[in-house]
Amino acid sequence: MKRTHIAIVVVIAVAIGAIMVTINDASTYVGFDRAQENPGTKYTVIGYLDKEAPMNYNARASIFEFTAIDKEGLKRKVVYNQPKPQDFERSEEITMKGYANDTAFIAEEILMKCPSKYNEQNQMAGYDTY
Amino acid sequence: MIEYVGEHTLPGLVGRFMVSLAFSTAIISALAYFFFHKKEESAYKKVARGSFLAHTASVVGIVLTLFYLLLSHYFEYDYVWKHSSLDLPLRYVFSAFWEGQEGSFILWLFWHVVLGCILMLTAKKWEAPTMIVFALVQAFLASMILGIYPFDLKIGSSPFVLMRNMAENAALPWTEFPNYLEMFPAFQDGSGLNPLLQNYWMTIHPPTLFLGFASTLVPFAYALAALFTKDFKSWVKPALPWTFFSIGILGLGILMGGAWAYEALSFGGFWAWDPVENSSLVPWITIAGAGHLLLIYRNKRTGLAAAFFMALISFLLILYSTFLTRSGVLGDSSVHSFVDLGLSGQLLVYLLFFVIIALGIFIIRYPKMPKGKTEESLSSREFWMFIGSLVLLISAFQIIFSTSIPVFNSLFGPEGWIPLMDDKMAPPLDAIDHYNSFQVPFAIVITLLIAVGQFLTYGKTNNKRFWKTITRSLIISLLVTATLAQLYDFWRDPIYLALLFTGVFATVSNLDFWLVMGKGKLSFSGSSVAHIGFALIMVGALISNARKTVISQSDVFLSEDLPSNENALMDLNDTIKLGGFNAVFTGMREDGDKQYYQVSYYAQDPAQAEERLFQLEPFLQVTDDMGTTPNPDTKHYLDHDIYTHVTYSSYLEPRTPDGYGKEVEVELGVGDSAVYRNHFVIMDSLKVNLGMNEENGNVEKLTLTMVARVINVMGLEYEIRPTYELEGDVLSHTDAFLEDAGFKFRFAEVNPDNKKVKLKAWTKLDENEKPFIVMKAIVFPLINILWVGCILMVVGTGLAVYQRIRQ
Repeated sequence: MKRTHIAIVVVIAVAIGAIMVTINDASTYVGFDRAQENPGTKYTVIGYLDKEAPMNYNARASIFEFTAIDKEGLKRKVVYNQPKPQDFERSEEITMKGYANDTAFIAEEILMKCPSKYNEQNQMAGYDTY
Repeated sequence: MIEYVGEHTLPGLVGRFMVSLAFSTAIISALAYFFFHKKEESAYKKVARGSFLAHTASVVGIVLTLFYLLLSHYFEYDYVWKHSSLDLPLRYVFSAFWEGQEGSFILWLFWHVVLGCILMLTAKKWEAPTMIVFALVQAFLASMILGIYPFDLKIGSSPFVLMRNMAENAALPWTEFPNYLEMFPAFQDGSGLNPLLQNYWMTIHPPTLFLGFASTLVPFAYALAALFTKDFKSWVKPALPWTFFSIGILGLGILMGGAWAYEALSFGGFWAWDPVENSSLVPWITIAGAGHLLLIYRNKRTGLAAAFFMALISFLLILYSTFLTRSGVLGDSSVHSFVDLGLSGQLLVYLLFFVIIALGIFIIRYPKMPKGKTEESLSSREFWMFIGSLVLLISAFQIIFSTSIPVFNSLFGPEGWIPLMDDKMAPPLDAIDHYNSFQVPFAIVITLLIAVGQFLTYGKTNNKRFWKTITRSLIISLLVTATLAQLYDFWRDPIYLALLFTGVFATVSNLDFWLVMGKGKLSFSGSSVAHIGFALIMVGALISNARKTVISQSDVFLSEDLPSNENALMDLNDTIKLGGFNAVFTGMREDGDKQYYQVSYYAQDPAQAEERLFQLEPFLQVTDDMGTTPNPDTKHYLDHDIYTHVTYSSYLEPRTPDGYGKEVEVELGVGDSAVYRNHFVIMDSLKVNLGMNEENGNVEKLTLTMVARVINVMGLEYEIRPTYELEGDVLSHTDAFLEDAGFKFRFAEVNPDNKKVKLKAWTKLDENEKPFIVMKAIVFPLINILWVGCILMVVGTGLAVYQRIRQ
């Protein structure tokens, strides 16, 4: 067996290792119920803002609280101790990475999907109501 | 047939004609080159070249037409309306050109014709087989902007379509108005360019990156041509300078993207392992591997199969990354991928066509490929270069595998083709940590190989000579590493310390090789300078990232399980400590749609506390279409940067002229209740009052009164009666006030769909409350090493290309 063959075998071994680690590192998209079952375990939850519930940002304590509804329709209070993301009210979809405790879902990172200008164009096309 | 007023339809027709022409000439050229290659009749060559030149002319025509539309502000065109506006500064017209998918396809087409023409005139015996590949790729690309619908199938998305002809607007009433352009103010101005792209980096980063993408096609075309013609050897020489050109330009394009992110985005750094970044980095890694494998073959006639493989997959990975970023598959996991235009099927066909052809012919030809006869010595340069290339391959594999998680979801997820997984996989929670845990060890191996590579010789290295020549670099590097480790506290992280050492070692040894052993000759310089650059990028990235400090971190911990707050609250004109500075937020200045927040920095030493050291003005751009976009401002010192951006501002809180804020809106029906700031709001009834015109029976005045109760925590009830009045076209509101709580309620709107009432509530704000901002400030040490490295790597690669061409 040539040395280069040994090297290639090593490479394949590392590649398999990379796959295993990635699968291990990858989180899963879940609903709030799953996060609630395993408090403290980190999950990614996709949901949207409950616009009827109060939303409160206390800049001095740096705490932002809102209620989110996940894809299964479950409502949950979310606590985020970062500044309130810009245009949060306009978000269509919120991706929250974090974990549940007994009172709320603690988000460590929040990504928002805002309506793009493409949607706004549809609104403009809504002139038919005139 | 409606005669529309004020439209300019001719340029659109010209544009669409040019696209069809570009598409058909590409196919004709491919066919003619194929027959020329088979029959070697020069008549075919004339046709092939002629049609490729016609193709070139039409691509240039497409570019000019789109520029003409953008510069003329013809907002009846969807692309122009979506990507530009009247007030867009002229210098950003380029950014608007390639903001959309269609424009960036055109940019890509353009670079391919530029490179294709050079290749056509210089490739000699390789002209026909390589140009077949080029022309086929161009046909696929041109089809992406065709915008035709044969048999209800969408082929491409054209930038030359009028807004009223867009499928999404079909049959909307306004498309029937002949004078819709004058009727609706929305058509008088476009929706504008995303403020994040209004940055000079965005004028130069996309064209450079796309030139980089385009340049990987040349080695790919050569490799494919060689496999098809079974001429396995002679492609290496002409492909080499092109491969190094690709390494340089693609690398430059990626780094410019990093510079833009650092300057204009606010994720706090130049690299975040975002899927979009990853998908352009991965082809660079493999093309760098391909370049080195080609060098091995040229010098030692070994490793050819690997060179073929890497050259092929580099372009295939470009196609794959195009698919990832443009098909919408990344959706949830990336913030800045393109909007799905419904081209994913077509992109997949494009990708699979070349994957099957390239990997198919590679597998078929593999047994016939010449292999190295002897075993490489463990001390030979080629052996370690080969190992290095394998490490690059595996590094690329790891990145692309993790980036492809959304693809696995659509293949094997609960809603995928073959539902193997119960849950949808999400990208790693800490992406940076995940990637670094692999890429840092890979970088250690690569930089170590770069450090010793030049001191090894092809064939067999003389052991004694090797150690003699490298000892000097080794000693200097150990000293430099120890100093840096002491200064930036690296002793506690063995992995980072190892990368610091190998990075420094690679820098020093290549410098030594070039200046001392090569006597600083230009002919020696290319690879040394490029490798110094790469090593400095690693050192700069390591130190600036691993030792970045958030100086705005506050000491407030809410509870143990919450991460610490990395943002500082700054009241207007109050001094706070920010790292080694005293910082004061002194005011906000508005310039157009930008709000500049002025923050002054002073020394903490009382002796010099009076003198302002510098002022930064991070800004927020507030636009109707894109919302609020933060933009950082950075103070550059030679050995560190202070990077700041505003994460929240009280100026953004809507405040009514009478001093109310904290606005919320809620929809209520009779019997519904809502909570507003610890108060219950219960809607009891809705009173409707119609004022009729006695003569014709028309409703002239409509008064709606909402009767609701507000109950506070003590159980006290108050009645409120906000009203909504419509008289003719004039709408007015009578707000209800709750003086004790400082609330104001407005009956804002009626929702005709569900017969509910939109109620707005505000709270009286303290007039003495100072405006404030919340700001994040990060110190990046030695980040300039990174930028110097970038420049050196590009210059070095350029020199290498120049030397290869001269050979």
